Order: sequence, then C-alpha cells, then structure tokens
Amino acid sequence: MTGAAATAVEIGAAVRRGRLTAGAVTEAALARIALHNGAINAFTVVTAERARATAQAIDRMVAVGGDPGPLAGVPFAVKNLFDIAGVTTFAGSRIHADRPPAAGDATAVRRLVAAGAVPMGALNMDEYAYGFTTENSHYGPTRNPHDLSRTAGGSSGGSGAAVAAGLVPLALGSDTNGSVRVPASFCGVYGLKPSYGRLSRVGMMLFAASLDHAGVLARSVADIGQVYDLLQGADPLDAGVTARPAEPSLPLLERGIGGLRIAIAGGHFAEHGEAAAHAAVARVAAALGARQRVILPEPERARAAAMLITASEGANLHLADLKVRAGDFDPMTRDRFLAGALIPASWYLQAQRFRRWYRDEVARAMADWDLLLAPATPFPAPELGQETMTLAGQEVMIRPNIGIYTQPLSFIGLPVLSVPIEGPGLPFGVQLVGRPWGEAALIQVAAELERHGVVAAPVAPNFRP
Amino acid sequence: MTNKPFDAEAHVDAMAAAVGLAIDPAHRPGVIRYVRFLESVHGRLADFPLAEALTPAPDFEP
Repeated sequence: MTGAAATAVEIGAAVRRGRLTAGAVTEAALARIALHNGAINAFTVVTAERARATAQAIDRMVAVGGDPGPLAGVPFAVKNLFDIAGVTTFAGSRIHADRPPAAGDATAVRRLVAAGAVPMGALNMDEYAYGFTTENSHYGPTRNPHDLSRTAGGSSGGSGAAVAAGLVPLALGSDTNGSVRVPASFCGVYGLKPSYGRLSRVGMMLFAASLDHAGVLARSVADIGQVYDLLQGADPLDAGVTARPAEPSLPLLERGIGGLRIAIAGGHFAEHGEAAAHAAVARVAAALGARQRVILPEPERARAAAMLITASEGANLHLADLKVRAGDFDPMTRDRFLAGALIPASWYLQAQRFRRWYRDEVARAMADWDLLLAPATPFPAPELGQETMTLAGQEVMIRPNIGIYTQPLSFIGLPVLSVPIEGPGLPFGVQLVGRPWGEAALIQVAAELERHGVVAAPVAPNFRP
Repeated sequence: MTNKPFDAEAHVDAMAAAVGLAIDPAHRPGVIRYVRFLESVHGRLADFPLAEALTPAPDFEP
C-alpha cells in the first residue's frame, strides 16, 4: 500500500483507519522521488520537510481518534505555477525564481491539504505554461516515463510524468489549450480539465485568464473524482469561479452509463491524426456502444481564436518583463511572447466575439448528446527535440499540431476528461467531452470504462518495483 | 480599393514602438516570423461574419 501502484483513495482509506501510517507512505514516496526523479526530471522542488511534518500531524490525529479526511496521508505534487507556502513559484521561469517564496498555499493546494493530503513538492512545466512539451531551457526537459527519449507532454509535463512513474498518485496541473490533457495522453494517465470557472485559480499563476483552468492528473478514476469533488466550491478570492453548487461525482462512480447519450466527434476530430489515435477512440466508442458522429462547427477557426487570445493575454501579463529582460525568457517561449505583445486590439476582440458564436453553435450541435469522444492528441509522445513528423503522408511541424484536438474544446470551457488507452507501444488519450458543468458524467463514464478494462493507467513499466 | 499585403516587419516596428518594447536585434527575426503566423491565424477570423449582438466573450460583473 505504500508502493508506487497504490491509488490515492486506497492510501487515504488505509491511513484513515490506522492500518497504515502517513509517515510510512511519505517516506516511501520520498524514496521513489530520490530514486527516479533524476531519470524523468519531474520535480523542481521537493518539500520533504513539510511532507514529513504534515504526515506526523496526520498520524497523531489518527492516533487520538481524529479523521484527517479522505486523502489522509496521500502524497501529491503540483505544477510549479501553484503556490506552495514557503516555496518560490517558478511558473517554469528564471524570472519568477527571483521572487520571494509564496506566503500561502493556492486554494487548490489548501483544499487537498485540508483533506489530509501531503504536499511533496513542485513539478516542471513549460515556461509560463506556453508549450506542449516541457522542454524547459532553465530546468531541463521532463522525460516520459514510458520512453525516456520522449517528451512527457506539456505544459503540465512534470505532473504527467510524476504520476505515470508512480512517484505520487496524483498531481495538480493547469490547462489553457490542452496542458492537462496532452501530458495525460502522452504519459498514459487520467487528466481532468473541468468546465471553465468550475475550480478556483487563486494562487495559480495565470497564463491567459480567459482560457485558464486548474486540473488534476491521476492513475485511477476514483482518485480523479475524489480530488475533483474536494476542489469544487466557490472561492471568495476568485470572481471567476462559478456560484453553481458543487456537483459531486463520487456518488455516480458505480452507476454505469445507462441513459447517457454518447456520440463520436466527427470531421476535424476524426481526421489529421495517426491511425492509432482514431483507433483508440473507436475502442472506447465500441465499449460504450457509441456509433453516431457529431460535427462541431469551425474547430479550425476555434483554434485560431484560441491562439490569438492566448498570445495576446499571455504577452500582456508579462509585458513589463518583456520590456526590460526579454533575454531572461526561455528561448522556447520568448519570441512568441514578444509577438503576442504586438497583436492589434481588433484581432483579439474578433477572436473573443468568435468565441461567443462558437460556444452557441457547439451547444446546438451537442444538444442531443451528453458526451462526445475525441482523440486527445494526434500522435503519441514525440522524441524530445523532434521538430517534424510524417502524418498522413505529409511532413508536419510537431509542436503546433499537438493541441489540434484539445484546443477547440477548452476554448469554450467544455469539461473534458482524457482517459488512457494502453499500447501496444506508447499510450494514447481519448477525450470524454461533456456539456458545460457535466464533469460528473465524464467521471461516471470513465469509471465504467475502467471497470471493464478498456482504459487503465498502470505505473510505467520501467518504474514498477 | 485593394488591401496591401501584410508587412510583418513594418508591423513589428510600428507596434513595438507604440507598446514601448525595444526588441533585441537577435530576437527580431523570430518575432517577425511569429507575427506573420499570427496574422495568418487572424486571417481565418477576419472576415467571419459575426452578428453585432455577439459581444466579446469575457463578462464583467460590477
């Protein structure tokens, strides 16, 4: 139960009942991090002291009959754009490394700790979340646990790798255009990006506020559901969080899929990718009895608009630093940030008005469906440093094409859960795409797929004890 | 009236001056390349018909 394969829910239940100590779980996780992090470069900071102190407090509480919560003693880590009290929030940058340590925990971190979870540290990412490969020039690339020569995806690459290698059972990430779902797909783990506005972003360094979401990566559906349920709820410090009541997912885990209407995203989402990406969707569709295809309107324009909004908002956020220390930005992001600062207002506003149109049209297209299926990425994890690949007989640039299936969905804040399909070969993610606020149905369907062995996220083979 | 082709270099120079961004000559080619890309991306949206009632997506509550 202290091993790499243990899920968060299993650990929490065992520690809560006194069958396992948080101290033992924490020491085992620290040992795994010490043994394996050098190979994958997922952690940028390990908060061993706080982890041990937190674990001791939990064990003391259990010893006197207290209840630390459903995540009692569960190790977790966060993309290094979430504030951890006493730790400087790098956001993947050298520039922010000059800043003082965070005064407190991000809301998401605080809620997990309040449920008994043990913070193990901060995880690598693309600088300021502007990338899909976590090839970070300041802190080094994060490597994919399934093949160390390959990218873990990004921008939450450290989160995907740490979970896939079994260093921690769960990790927080953020998703603006696919940054939770891409590493989930490449690393073969579950990755939830809830509806836009569902989860608090307080204490999370933003990238493009119009599109930023907090999310979670894990190796079991119950863990995704547990964390999602704990993170829901209004946050008086974040005006962007919905006032809707929390809608727990855990009561739906055993319900099956009866009554849910599930279709396959056609058109753009059924083209452009490797055959294996579409085969993964077909496998999930067959298991769910989904046959009908739904065409979402104008996904290519949705991507275009998302790119402009991202570039413009991202550049505006960092404009002061771009003016005085552009040379300190990662060469992987710098020119794109500088270019984003030069976008005319009319380009940006046209993109934001298109977003309104697209939201309404997609709502119409999805009116008869609870859930759509789409690939998460058009290909599995590429080699680190690889620039191009051959896709459908054509040579294409890799980095601009990684997000072709994720970006048109996050653009209008639809909830999406990427579920992992095991090889042969590298893992692939399939997106379960819900209607706004329909996260619980995604978790319900994923649980059914997991129960029938259609999807699974075992620890990557090289990292099993 | 015909639209002039987009001049990315002139755009970068004019906008950088307006924004107060001094772009290092070493970074300039990459910035021009990406501005050219963004303009082509905008081209997919520029003439897309949008009803006047469609307001920009971000909402604001006082």
